Amino acid sequence: MRHLSRHVGPILAFLSFIATPLVAQTGTIRGTVTDSVTGQGLAGVSVQIIGTTHTTATGGDGNFALADVPAGTVTLKVSRIGYGPLQRSVTVTAGASADEKFVMSPQASILEPVVVTGYGSQRREAITGSVSTIEASQANVGVKTNFTQMIQGRAAGVDIVQNNGEPGSGAQILIRGGSSISNTNEPLYVIDGVPIVNDNTQPGGQGLGSPSLNRSPLNMLNPGDIASMTVLKDASATAIYGSRASNGVVLIETKHGSTGGSTIEYDGYVAASSPAKKLDLVSPSAYRSFIQDQVAIFNADTASGTPPSSAAGLDPIHLTRLGSANTDWYSAVTRTAMTHNHNLSFAGGTEDTRYRASLNYMMQPGVAISNDLERIQGTLTASHHAFENRVRLAATVTTSRENDKYITYENTGGFEGGVFMNATIFNPTQPIDITDSTGTHYYETGSTSVRNPVALANQIQNVGNTTRTLGQVNGEYDLNPSLTAKITLGIDHSDGARQTYIPKANPLGVALGNGQATQEELANTTRTIQTLLTYQHQSGDKSFDAVGGYEYTQFGSNLVGAQGVGFFTDAFGYNNLAAAASRTDWSSTRDWKLASFLSRVNFGYQDKYFITGILRYDGSSRFAAGHQWALFPGLSASYKINPDFKVRAGWGRQGNPGIPPYQSLVTFNPGTGSTYPWGDVPQSGVSANSNGNPDLKWEQTDQFNLGLDFGLWSNRLAGTAEYYVKNTSGLLEYVQSAAPSNVSETLQNVGKLKNTGFELTLDALAKSTPGFTWRAGLTFAAPTSEVQTLGGASFIRSGRVSGQGQSDQWAQRIMPGQPLGTFFGPVFLGVDSAGKQLFRCGTASATCVNSQTTAPAPEDYAVIGNANPDFTFGLRSSMTWSKIDVSFLIRGSVGGDVFNNTALVYSTKGNALQDKNFLASALPQNDATGLHEPAIFSSRWVESASYVRLQNLTVTYTLDIPALARTARNVQLYASVDNLFTITGYSGLDPEVSNLSTDPNNLSPDAGLAARGIDYLSYPRARTVTGGLRLSF
Amino acid sequence: MKRISVAVSAGAMALCMQLVACTDLTENPKSLITPSTYFNTPGEALAALAGVYAQLRGTAGEGDYWGISEVSTDEMVVPTRGQDWYDNGTWMELHHQSWSATSPGTLSFMNNAWNTAFQGVARANVLIDAMAGSSLPNAAEVTTEARGLRAFYYYVLMDLFGGVPLATTSEIKPRPRETRDSIFKFIESELLAIYPDLPATWDAANNGRFTKGAADAILANMYINAGIFTKDGVPGGINATAYNSCAGIAVSGGDACQQAVVHADALISSPNYALSATYGANFTAANNTSKENIFAVKFAAATDLGFVMLQRTLHYNQFNPSPWNGFATLASAYAKFDSLDQRRKVFLVGPQVNVETNQPVTDRAGAPLVFTTSIANVNAATEGEGARIYKWPADPSHVAQNNGNDFAWFRLSEMYLIKAEAILDGATSAQTPLALVKAVRARAFPGGDTLSAVTLPVILRERLFEFAAEGKRRQDLIRFGAYTQPWEFKTNPEGQDPKRVLMPIPQGQIDVNPLITANNPGY
Repeated sequence: MRHLSRHVGPILAFLSFIATPLVAQTGTIRGTVTDSVTGQGLAGVSVQIIGTTHTTATGGDGNFALADVPAGTVTLKVSRIGYGPLQRSVTVTAGASADEKFVMSPQASILEPVVVTGYGSQRREAITGSVSTIEASQANVGVKTNFTQMIQGRAAGVDIVQNNGEPGSGAQILIRGGSSISNTNEPLYVIDGVPIVNDNTQPGGQGLGSPSLNRSPLNMLNPGDIASMTVLKDASATAIYGSRASNGVVLIETKHGSTGGSTIEYDGYVAASSPAKKLDLVSPSAYRSFIQDQVAIFNADTASGTPPSSAAGLDPIHLTRLGSANTDWYSAVTRTAMTHNHNLSFAGGTEDTRYRASLNYMMQPGVAISNDLERIQGTLTASHHAFENRVRLAATVTTSRENDKYITYENTGGFEGGVFMNATIFNPTQPIDITDSTGTHYYETGSTSVRNPVALANQIQNVGNTTRTLGQVNGEYDLNPSLTAKITLGIDHSDGARQTYIPKANPLGVALGNGQATQEELANTTRTIQTLLTYQHQSGDKSFDAVGGYEYTQFGSNLVGAQGVGFFTDAFGYNNLAAAASRTDWSSTRDWKLASFLSRVNFGYQDKYFITGILRYDGSSRFAAGHQWALFPGLSASYKINPDFKVRAGWGRQGNPGIPPYQSLVTFNPGTGSTYPWGDVPQSGVSANSNGNPDLKWEQTDQFNLGLDFGLWSNRLAGTAEYYVKNTSGLLEYVQSAAPSNVSETLQNVGKLKNTGFELTLDALAKSTPGFTWRAGLTFAAPTSEVQTLGGASFIRSGRVSGQGQSDQWAQRIMPGQPLGTFFGPVFLGVDSAGKQLFRCGTASATCVNSQTTAPAPEDYAVIGNANPDFTFGLRSSMTWSKIDVSFLIRGSVGGDVFNNTALVYSTKGNALQDKNFLASALPQNDATGLHEPAIFSSRWVESASYVRLQNLTVTYTLDIPALARTARNVQLYASVDNLFTITGYSGLDPEVSNLSTDPNNLSPDAGLAARGIDYLSYPRARTVTGGLRLSF
Repeated sequence: MKRISVAVSAGAMALCMQLVACTDLTENPKSLITPSTYFNTPGEALAALAGVYAQLRGTAGEGDYWGISEVSTDEMVVPTRGQDWYDNGTWMELHHQSWSATSPGTLSFMNNAWNTAFQGVARANVLIDAMAGSSLPNAAEVTTEARGLRAFYYYVLMDLFGGVPLATTSEIKPRPRETRDSIFKFIESELLAIYPDLPATWDAANNGRFTKGAADAILANMYINAGIFTKDGVPGGINATAYNSCAGIAVSGGDACQQAVVHADALISSPNYALSATYGANFTAANNTSKENIFAVKFAAATDLGFVMLQRTLHYNQFNPSPWNGFATLASAYAKFDSLDQRRKVFLVGPQVNVETNQPVTDRAGAPLVFTTSIANVNAATEGEGARIYKWPADPSHVAQNNGNDFAWFRLSEMYLIKAEAILDGATSAQTPLALVKAVRARAFPGGDTLSAVTLPVILRERLFEFAAEGKRRQDLIRFGAYTQPWEFKTNPEGQDPKRVLMPIPQGQIDVNPLITANNPGY
């Protein structure tokens, strides 16, 4: 150990490397691995000489070869997902070849032997925390744009709700319920050991009303490149990531080259998607007769002497607004879209040098028109082992280009309206386009509040693109057989652009000032340096390993944008801002730094008792001076009661720094809010745009976890049951400041949130006979959350209600004693004979008679729902009959509520007063609510969100073509259906809806991070049929 | 084992040392300013002063002091029109005066008014603190103006909420509520203290900045309202159903009514101010040249800097961009106007045109748009119901909805009417109330004014005619004991509760300030 002092630090160590004598005497190990049930050779079995990085994998026939093995006795280990690992001693003689045969028995596939745990990996037996692993090859079926879709339903306690059906849309990912109210609840993603900063890579766009949701910044990763995903859930596992880990950690390992000879793989599919469900709007003929009926009512009323202004029904003028066309607007803006995806990779190498290169092309048009995502992505990885395997170097570069085409639609909505709003309300008796003296053009009503949705989708240019490169190099050096130093350098650079043009050919473009063009560019760079020292020691029945290191991350971001308004022609599109009559521009920059010291110690005794201790010390620039550094400890232990059962317990503390920079400072900002036109000339001014907070510090989550792992009947049934309690304190929230203050709200650490939950994961090899294998798995999670305090506030309003006439209406309240996502509002009782809605009220008054009122008052509001499910589950199954494999995944969620904001605003027949269409459920034959009754938010619109969905069904056939079999290792054809059916009582499009906002830089509680389960004109989810081919040579 | 951990840490530390500043976490924002990097030049101080002024725009907002002062009165209502303007019942809550400390209207409008004015105070305090130790040549001038603006923001707060926390430094901390009278005295003493340093006028390039005249106008208004502004609600002595006199209330310089006359006179006799020849000249896009406007919120035809009154009142099809078809005048208020009164022309009734093109317009259903004076059902109004205020005509150079018309909080005509009222209430003057009122009315009745006598009720009516939609009505009704009386659409009992003479402090503001121990009486 003494020589260590001469090599302080790995960099020095690398530089001071001295050649050591080489041993020339080597031999070869050859062999085959077969399945105990079928007797067939097993492909893809990992073969490793324990204690070394000498590994290979079996080929299609089950054969393997390991060359250049030093003479002597080594321990050979074979492992493959779904089979129990085997190991045995092999004696290698110099210059000779040893022949070994292994017969592996199938078992539950959850039990893979090695688990990535962050800054290293561990044997599954030694895991003391709560860890879920997802085997990518099983999860990457159907159309998977983003790897998060691969986790859905496959990891207990990981709730992933895709924002909507838009290609590449972001998702709300809650691991164990999320731990924050206004801060991000996004887990930390770590790709091949480097934590990723998951900021938006594309400018959000200058929205109309509100911009559409950002697409996921992680679309840049090709699911086909992913080897495995590991979700660290409890604090004892995540504490190693300290300040960024309170929402859990997702570790992603990408595929690397292997020494089993070179391989070429092609995987491609074509998929057809169409909306799984469409809004049930009033049909053109039903709309016509509705208008005619209402006019008849009006005429009868006025004939009996009622003045027109008080007559019921519709003024006859509305008859003149009926057209002669029959247009299904919702169908006009949706379509069946063909996606295609191609992956080509080749990999190979020698014992010392390995490589893998892959290329991906994907084109996914949306099920709405004028909307798509295109991805071109390439990855190169290479590794080299030198100096007798004591030095290991590796590099990975991934570059992707994503081209996005957006349509204008609104997730939250104001008056301008987007494609889906206008498809909902546009008069169904009017045509999409008309031909007159000026030629054929889109039909517009001339009204400023309704616009042709097809024209909106097709005329507005709204595109984005992102080029992102993720590169990392790492070097490892074995200082001695037990001690390894590693240095990793990572760089993540993205350039994202957003370009929009709203032409004057469209009335929206006219309203915005005769054409509005916008260009924005956002550049993000993250640099990471990581140094690790790993020590491993085994003596007798004691095992010990430790890792310690330092990590430094620097993030910088620069945004520049410009907008031009007023064009004499639409010909320029967004490409010539100088042609605009007036222009504005803007730019801003942000940066932050994170420095960390980390350490973990694992101690094992008799392979029965394991203890893990973690200490991480993190400093973030984003907090106030004096509060920047914090300690994040974790401690966990496991005890193997017998070979079948293991109990685990752990505790840890994590943080959440997901706030934008500069929040602790008082900052001054120019802008129109501080500009004043004395002398009638705007005088640029500044004003403080924050209150600063010298006490700003981390949100802190303490989590306790209890787990039981079991493997029964020779590991044919394996599983994990877990219980956790998570207490988050110092919740970061924008709370009102005592007046006067520079701005009304200050970011403060107030509030406490408690999450508890039970999770169960089961994995079974249900049947295994020659010719037939059936594997099945279940994930189950029952989480609860409760806000405990909110500092001084008795409640915070959350979840803005969208739509016309809904200003200042909020669907949810964050209240102590209630979970996040609690719906709060009037209690709906029914509709009276006059067509007025009745609500429950308390104190009798002029407006409250018999505990019923038509005008709900805030004091009568009550808890009317909870967006959180009682439990969620995922059920997967895979049956293999020799060449045919049938697998499916069913997901479900039970007990939650969803607020059907779409129905609130659009199931009111009063829309006809403005010649707007509405949902068929509001027709008089279906609903007694009066024509003049406004849309009032109440329990009427809060529905059960329970559902069971057949997420995916895949049939794979392994081809047996003699001509191919000679050259190809594997040829598979598969067909797959995503979202085949959903069983739900929900009346809207889809009960699975995400929050309103995913902007991590907007912490305002009304921004929606805390809001859940609000469905407003969601982009329809697709039902997709995929046909694909996998080839490997 | 210990040696290993030491080695591990040593290795990490050694590497750390080789990296530049690996533990330096100081934030240096580059596209934002911090106070320590600012206030280096006179121009920078002036820019911060513009920030203090900018907050004035908010006071004229529809969901702010202006909206509260209009929609809660018998002058203006925002009817629910089908799907439009229901907005959680906030607008009808405001009109029905049925608010509580936690009702949606309070959480929205009252909260906005509270925040807008207090942020004005905060911006002023940040600037005043920065100037305190500054050697900039304009430090004194800037401080004087910031104090004047701060006094106005406190005037807004005191008018709505009575006693509020008083802050004269930029430190953000909970402060106790003062009595309404002490806020009144603070504003008064500030305005009198800076008075000698304020300019009488500014040159054209600085038109709109705070003047001696602005201080006089605020003081005259405060003194005529002294019977209200020095008292904490009905328990504090406000009479909700009768006129609240300024007579006998001691203010700086003597009796409040008499001081109202003194400060009104300072303006009436000033060569810098004069009644405009036409009433309309005070409201056009060129009204910055009006010598009648004493203290105005300056608007510009530029994005986010403009006046949006048109959007509030006009029908969707009367202007581009499309207005919101919201605020309407009550038939009862419209009916009070003499048909010969030129000032009635500020209301649009009957068949309508696009205000820019003068072409006839239709409603959204395609029928010719006609504004009726009456509103049959205020909870389900049609598009055309209710007379509309069109007092500030469209600015021909408007940028989208931003019009450049300035909005005056104080006009010279108000000084005439304050003086007339103060004389009726006991102040002495060489002029008669009738002469003063007739001076204001002259331009409204070009054919001859038949007004022959002036009493206090005549003053209240005259103020409606003169200041319709100028955000004065709530203040006037409270002073005349008429705010809680029932009217056209406000017949509900909550709206007749005497506690309405003061607005509730929004509960959320009380929640975050432990030193505010009580809301206003009755809330």
